Formats: sequence, structure tokens, C-alpha cells
Amino acid sequence: MNSTDKKRSLQFRDVFSVGGATGPLIGLLLLCAFLSFATDSFFSIRNFLNILDQITVLGVMAVGMTFVILIAGIDLSVGSVLALSMMVLGYLNVEASMPMGIAISGALVASALVGLVAGLLITEFKVPPFIATLAMMSIARGLANMITDGSQIIGFPAWFNMGAIIRYGGFLTSTVAVMLIVFITTLLYQRYREGGRALYAVGGNPEVARLAGIKVKRVTVLTYTACAALSGLAGILLAARLDAVQPSSGVAYELDAIAAVVIGGTSLSGGTGGVGGTIIGVLIIGVLRNGLNLLSVSPFLQAVIIGLVIVLAVAAETFKHREQ
Amino acid sequence: MKLMFKTTIASIVAATIATTALAEGVGGVNKIGLAVPNLQADFFNQIKLGVEGYAGKLGIEVIVVDAKNDTATQVSQVQDLLTQGIDAFIYIPAGAAAAAVPTRLARAEGIPVINVDREPDGAPGDTVIYGENVMSAYQVCDHIIGLAGGKGKMVVIHGQKGTTPEVQRFEGCKMAMDENPGVELVAQQWSQQWSPDEGFQIAQNMLQAHPDIRIIFGQADGLAMGAAKAVQVASLADQVIVGGYDGDGAALKSLVTCDTPFVVTATQSTQAMGVLAVNSAIAVANGASVPARQIPNAVLTTCDNAAKFVEKHP
Repeated sequence: MNSTDKKRSLQFRDVFSVGGATGPLIGLLLLCAFLSFATDSFFSIRNFLNILDQITVLGVMAVGMTFVILIAGIDLSVGSVLALSMMVLGYLNVEASMPMGIAISGALVASALVGLVAGLLITEFKVPPFIATLAMMSIARGLANMITDGSQIIGFPAWFNMGAIIRYGGFLTSTVAVMLIVFITTLLYQRYREGGRALYAVGGNPEVARLAGIKVKRVTVLTYTACAALSGLAGILLAARLDAVQPSSGVAYELDAIAAVVIGGTSLSGGTGGVGGTIIGVLIIGVLRNGLNLLSVSPFLQAVIIGLVIVLAVAAETFKHREQ
Repeated sequence: MKLMFKTTIASIVAATIATTALAEGVGGVNKIGLAVPNLQADFFNQIKLGVEGYAGKLGIEVIVVDAKNDTATQVSQVQDLLTQGIDAFIYIPAGAAAAAVPTRLARAEGIPVINVDREPDGAPGDTVIYGENVMSAYQVCDHIIGLAGGKGKMVVIHGQKGTTPEVQRFEGCKMAMDENPGVELVAQQWSQQWSPDEGFQIAQNMLQAHPDIRIIFGQADGLAMGAAKAVQVASLADQVIVGGYDGDGAALKSLVTCDTPFVVTATQSTQAMGVLAVNSAIAVANGASVPARQIPNAVLTTCDNAAKFVEKHP
């Protein structure tokens, strides 16, 4: 009785442990402590909720990117897929006046297809992930622009934007709730499902994974599909937040997503890290941007500081590994 | 109307300076938030300088955020501005979709919203200040068509498709083209960022397809100067005339030296727009009425009169 209790609580701790991301977590806490002293407006519930609002899109996108990087891949197309998803959503809902449910499903399917094609290019045609997703980045951006010939779409139903503004119970907007659900589901999946464990095996050594009976090609294709679908979901959240869609959205978001994953301690060579660390990475970027704005740091200096933080985070990880 | 507005401002400013000479701010406005799409663009940088310079004189603090052309970033930044307790919000929308959300957020706080350059559909601010586009673009195109003798093949390099300046500047230029039947519009292309490298590339392709182009209108100085460079690279500088728009710092300097095919622009009163925005913010915060639209003119600028604008940007 006593021992099962202990075991259960241990498992619970496992799920939410930041596994390998203690460095980033300490960094995040130091950053928050510094900003709380340096500004009057940082340490408040309202600002904390603002930060959650501000990281929704990056957060959802970075989760998908984590899986791809875990299997030692990379996905450069996420920003373009986000734009494609937004434009499909806008086209179906506003131009074709379909109900939002169908429009959202359509947007997700369109996004997932891009990931599926990228995955097949990588597994069946042996195109390196960098090149395959670079190609999909260009194709998805072009398609997004073609839907309206480059112009924006507005005129979503009022509740759609309200979902990103109204805080239910004074706390959660629908968009933040979606992000939290994505976080929790993927954390559980990564730790407890066979498929989640397979990602580490494939990233660690695909040949060994194959010999151990893991269908490596299948896992790879599904991972890119899931990553693209999550980018599509991020696009829907962004559309809700902006109450408008435009094909030029999400340019260079792939770099933000990769930065968040790397700051969170996931290795670009695959096999180590996870969603827990990425969530911290996303929070570091979100808190940093918010804090620098609150400190009225000049926009040019902000870019320098964010670059320095990425360097620091990666350097800290490297030193840690060297000591081990 | 305009006079009344000016007098109101003057009286508020005067009263504040008289009564509380050392106090910060004017008419209850101590802190202004300024959301800029992209400080890399000289046009927005000039507006920022106008706002900062004038607000500084009045003892008003200005907090500037730069969205780097990304609408989502801008919404986040506006949330951060509101957290800092700004008394007025000067909003220059970023991206082709001018988001209504920043306006709604500021409205929810009861803060005056002054739009500059553009305003979001369905969520207008208390006033919008933007440069006149149609007539000024007409003047630029009329000038370059005139220099080409009223005839020849012409191309247009547009700005970001669907944005108000893109649409209106073409409308104005089209008027000049229609008045000259000898002018033939052989190609037009849209840029994403209004930037010189895009202008260069687009113009180079156009010159490749139509080596006998006489007239190029770039809808921004960046585009026009990029196009002028492409003309020089193609050794067609004697044959082609390039017109631009905005009166950027770099463009005005180039006009003073006047050694490229780029010979005319329309200089926008950007610094004046910044001053106007601050004045409007103070007026609205104090319950005075301001016109819904305030539209300063742009000035046709050629090699002859560019020097005085370099000295002091309007």
C-alpha cells in the first residue's frame, strides 16, 4: 500500500519533471526574479496571463518541432504551414461561408498533408529533412498566397476572436486552454505511450530502432505529419488572436520554434530532451520578450539580448555534457 | 474645426506649462505608447523621431515597440504597453492585415487610440493620420512621364499588395498614365517588403523582358532606388527615368547628388505626422474633438529642391 503510493507519486513527478532541462528552468526563475525587481509591472497575475496569451502560437508550434528534432530531423516549413492553415481556415469560413467546425478541420487536414508529403519525401525518396522541409516551406507559402492572391481575409464570427480575449473564470482564454491541453497530452504521450518512447529510439539510432522492431519509416512520416498538424493548429489560434488571416503570417517562426526547443535542452542531434524542456524554452522566450518590452529596452538591443540568451543556453548544456 | 482643434491644444499646452512648469506630461498624458511596424523602414523611423522629439519637449515619456512587420508580435507588444499604464496609444498597424485587436484592447482600458498611416477595418481609432497618396502619386508619375516626353513603355513596382498606400498610389499614377495615351504599361509586379533588394530584382527581371522600358515608378523610395541600381547595372541609365515615393533620408541624399536614374519622389511630412499624433492624443485625452481623418500632403521633390529636405525633414 505504502510502496504503491510512493511509486505513483514518483510517476507523477516523472511526468512533470523537466528531465535534463534543470539549467533552463533555473535560468527562467532567475529571469523572472530579476524582472520582478527591475520593473513594477512584471510581477502580476495580469502580466502572467498576458505572457501565456503571447506564447500560445509559439508553444503549440514548438511542441511539434520537439518531436521532429527528437528523431534527429528538422522542420523548416512550420511558419509557412501556419500561414497555409490560416488561409484555408479563412477561405472556408469567410469566403465559402462554411461552419467553423468544417473550416477548422479543413485547415488541419491541409496542414497535415504538407507534413505527410515532407515525411514521404524524407523516408521514401531519401531527401534530407532540411531540404525536404525547405521545399515544403516554399510550396506551402506559395499556396497560402494563391488562395487569395496575396490579400488578407477578415470577417470571422465574433465569438472566434472573443475566444482569444475573454478570460473564462478570470483566468483562461480558450486559446491558452488549447495550448495547455496540447502540453499535457504530449507530455503524457511522450512518457507513457510506446509511440512516444519510439521517438527517442529513432533519434538515438535509427538502425538499432529498426532492429528492435520499430517501424522507423512509419514513425518518421507520422512525426512530420503531427508537427505540421500542430503548426496548423497554431495557425488557427493565431487567426483567433488576430481576428484576421494573411498569407504573410508566420515568416521566420520556424527559427523561433527551433530556438525554443534548443533553449529547452533538446539536442539537435536527436534522442535527448523532450516537451517538458521545450515548454520552459518557450516560457523563457516569452518572458524575455515581455520583460524587455516592460523595461522599454530598445527594439534593436532586444534582438541582441535574445541572441545572447540562445548562445548562453546552448553553451550551458554543452558544458554540462562535457563535465559528465 | 481645425482651428478650434489647434486652439484647444494650444490652450491645454499653455495652461499646463503655466501652472505646473516642472510637472511631467501635458493634460494628464504622461506616458504614450507607440507601436511601430518596422523601424528598419525610414518612413516609420521618421514618425518615431517626430513623436519622440515633440513629446520630449512636452515632458511626455514615449515607449516604442517594434513589431518587425509581424501582426502577432504587435498584438503581444500592445498588451505589454497597456500593462505599463500608458495614457494614450499611437498605433501604426503592422502587416497587410491591420489587426483590430490592439484597438479593442486599448479601448477596453479607455485609452485614446491614434492611428497613423493605416487603420484596421471595423475598429477605427479616435483619429487616423496618413499621408495623402493619390494626388501625390499622380504628381510623381506626371513628372516622370513628362521627362520621358509623354510617351514610352512604363512599368510599376508595387508595394505590399492590398495595403492602402499600394492601392492609392497606383490609383494616382494610373490617372497620369491615362492622360498620356502614348504611355504603355507593359508590366507591374508586387513586392512584399517595399525594400530596395526587391526593387532591384523586380526591375532587373522587367528590364530583361522589356529592354526598351523608358519609365519606372517604384511605390516607395526603397523600391525605386533598387530599380535605379538595376537600370545602372543594365547600362540603361541614359534611357530610363525612375520615380519613387516617401522621401526617405537616403532617397533625398541620392536626389541631392542626382547621379542616378532616380530623379523624383514625393516627400511625406513624416515628422509632422508624429507631432500631429501627439497633439491629437492630448486633445482626445482631454475630451476635445479631433477630425476623424487628418491627411498631411506630400511634397513633390526633385533634384532641385531635395537639399532643403535633407537639412530638415518635414
